[in-house]
Amino acid sequence: MNNKKHESYKELIWMLAITDFKLRYQDSVLGYLWALLQPLMMFLILNIVFSSIFASGGAIEYYSLQLITSLMLFIFFSEGTSAGLSSLVNKAQLVTKIYVPRWTIIVASTINAALIFLMNLIVIIGFFAYYKLMPDIGSILMFIVFIIALYVIILAFSLIAAPLYVKYRDLTIIWSVALQALMYLSPIIYPLSMMDEKWHPLMLTNPLAFIIHFNKEALINGHYATTTQYITFFSIVIAVLILGIWSYNRNAKNIAELI
Amino acid sequence: MKKRNKQKNKNNNIAIRVEKVSKTFRVPHQKINSMRSAFVNIFNKKTYEEFIALDEISFEVKKGEFVGIIGKNGSGKSTLLKILAGVYEADKGKIIVNGGVSPFLELGIGFNPELSGRNNVYLNATILGLTKKEIDEKFDEIVKFSEIGKFIDQQVKNYSSGMKAKLAFSVSIHAKRDILLMDEVLAVGDVAFQYKCMNEFEKYKEQGRTVVLVSHSIDTVREYCDKVIFINDSKIAKSGNPEEVCDEYILKNMTKEQIEEQGVEKEKKKREKE
Repeated sequence: MNNKKHESYKELIWMLAITDFKLRYQDSVLGYLWALLQPLMMFLILNIVFSSIFASGGAIEYYSLQLITSLMLFIFFSEGTSAGLSSLVNKAQLVTKIYVPRWTIIVASTINAALIFLMNLIVIIGFFAYYKLMPDIGSILMFIVFIIALYVIILAFSLIAAPLYVKYRDLTIIWSVALQALMYLSPIIYPLSMMDEKWHPLMLTNPLAFIIHFNKEALINGHYATTTQYITFFSIVIAVLILGIWSYNRNAKNIAELI
Repeated sequence: MKKRNKQKNKNNNIAIRVEKVSKTFRVPHQKINSMRSAFVNIFNKKTYEEFIALDEISFEVKKGEFVGIIGKNGSGKSTLLKILAGVYEADKGKIIVNGGVSPFLELGIGFNPELSGRNNVYLNATILGLTKKEIDEKFDEIVKFSEIGKFIDQQVKNYSSGMKAKLAFSVSIHAKRDILLMDEVLAVGDVAFQYKCMNEFEKYKEQGRTVVLVSHSIDTVREYCDKVIFINDSKIAKSGNPEEVCDEYILKNMTKEQIEEQGVEKEKKKREKE
């Protein structure tokens, strides 16, 4: 019985995620290409504006490559958290008209974001192929671990934010402003090395900045974080996840009445 | 008259047991639904009124019973159903539900107009708790019952509202849970379809499955229910025999003129003759 329940939750999550995914791309390759236009346009604009600033004098090799890698990671974060934030309200019917565990709805929205990221990964691979750069195997494994960590952060944020959004309907506006700030607080358009060394530890406590910075470093330059840095990073990720689960259990109880 | 269900074990005979369940809603005078208003009103005292939707309700439903819940608007019927479905949590009291519940508070939960009928069947059935394998097995049956036919691969946005309802209903019926909770969802589809649905529910009884129906259609309740619960002002006013409870409900909730028009007395006599 219990096993069957878990099985059906898995199927429910997958069904919700894949449905949103299909709707986004309308089940076609052209739909996928169309959906790629937005991140690519963003990349193009940032690349034109900032490559001349940061890459002048050959300060950074592979600026475009760094930019597209960081940008795709950031878009994963930004779309994942935004979708997670509004997941319960968007699927209000599933909250008020039937009982499914509410976390399944939140998890489904983040899985959908992860699927979109996996599609965007093709673009990153394409860029690496274009520059004829083959990252070493260690950095690719690191990349996978970082993606999982990033997913965990998105999930934790969504578990916190989705029930709160039911109560505070202006959270989307607040979060979109916060995302803007986070974009500039993470080394996406600029390399961390542009900053004074004394700010690095502070910058890198932001897990998003950490992931973006060390992904670029590992994939492109073959530099890795130190053990202490890894320990700090993973402690933060786990702490955020625990906070997410705790907050969800606290706030998700009566949302059917508020939604 | 009605067939007894086949359950032999007496302790196992109960499908739903509700013990002294209460539910109170807090209705704030000034609803705070944004960070901005929470911030602006940070020093203001929050005042609210309490609305008691259910007040120590207790009842039992046996397996295989067809139970109707009646009462005027706002009396707590839907709240009760939502508590049984697990959507709301009761403040006090105990609820025991034996078996899988298929809530029918609305048809076609999760239906997306952009998707085809086929995809929507899979989506809706998954939400109702079926696995992909089960849906694969039942798919043809679902489509046949819904009378949708060749339109199954069209987008649902092109369906008429009746078609949508039929498809949704068909999926729900095939979810095959032990307990069905319905909130006024029978008013869809044409007469023939409604008849077909009620027949389906009759079959449920024989299979020892339970139906709880919230309805304003007293005729339906009289005809199909084994037991009726009349909720008035958050409490159970009367429960038991459908005819008696329905009469009580009509007497309590209609004006004299309306009752005369309805001819409750006449109907009673008519029944006695029969």
